[in-house]
Amino acid sequence: MNAIFFSLLAIFSLFIFLNLGKVKASKKQMDRDDRIKWGKRRKTIFRNSRDGSKIIEGKAEEINTDSRE
Amino acid sequence: MSKHSALNTFGRSGNPAFTKNFDSTGAIPQSERMTLDGAVNKTAILLALCFGGAFIGWNFPALTLPGLIIGTILAFVTIFRNPSKAGATAPFYAGFEGIALGGITVFAEMQYPGIGIQAIGLTFGILASLLFCYKSGIIKPTENFRLMIFSATMGIALLYLISFIMSFFGSGIGFIHSNGLFGIGFSLFVVGIAALNLVLDFDFIEEGAEQGLPKYMEWYGAFSLMVTLVWLYIEILRLLMKLRSR
Repeated sequence: MNAIFFSLLAIFSLFIFLNLGKVKASKKQMDRDDRIKWGKRRKTIFRNSRDGSKIIEGKAEEINTDSRE
Repeated sequence: MSKHSALNTFGRSGNPAFTKNFDSTGAIPQSERMTLDGAVNKTAILLALCFGGAFIGWNFPALTLPGLIIGTILAFVTIFRNPSKAGATAPFYAGFEGIALGGITVFAEMQYPGIGIQAIGLTFGILASLLFCYKSGIIKPTENFRLMIFSATMGIALLYLISFIMSFFGSGIGFIHSNGLFGIGFSLFVVGIAALNLVLDFDFIEEGAEQGLPKYMEWYGAFSLMVTLVWLYIEILRLLMKLRSR
């Protein structure tokens, strides 16, 4: 009886995972300001590993040589 | 010559590391982007391989230790190498870890019959219920949540490592393995932390699919989910063994 109950629990849970997993999360979950920014962390690591290189942070601006002349 | 001096100085970069960033999805075609379907399907493949490995481990328990060692090495290779290689290493990880879990379950079953199916049922039960809580927004992972879970996970890993080293000198941290109230409470805490790691995995996969990461990140997401599930299963098995031994 015990084995049947836990077997059914496992099969039912797997079924839920395989179906619910493919559904997009609710707006309540996605539209938040305090979400984890997984990408931000990766970029920081990448930037730190390149210390000493010619990376200039800030807004990119086009250099117009004509105006200088 | 380009009007942009940076391009003239450094040239247009072909470094693949740039395309690994979450924001750089512009160059990736739609069919080459990570999707929720793909990540779930790949998790199903890894689970099937794990069950296949467990069948071998169940019938040949002598393979438990080699399976565990090779599985652990493959896990470190997948984590610390380029994530684009996860598609090659994750299936082998699942297979070898399955062999180890099959062997461990046989030893547990010999002492406490029926404990294996209980642990499997509870593991998948927790997986489904936490997935529901995540998708519906009942549990909302934040940066503080991640920091808390990461710190607790590292703390547990350190405690296990110290206990493992102490075991070589005939000593150990007693309460970790005891079946007293403190030991059971510790196991419950570890099961809780392992379960909450699943929420971080769900969030990683969800955001990866939303940002349109490269396709190979589906394997990486499935692998991270698999690692957490293996840990959760072992901890639930330990907890049930403590409860049954009382």
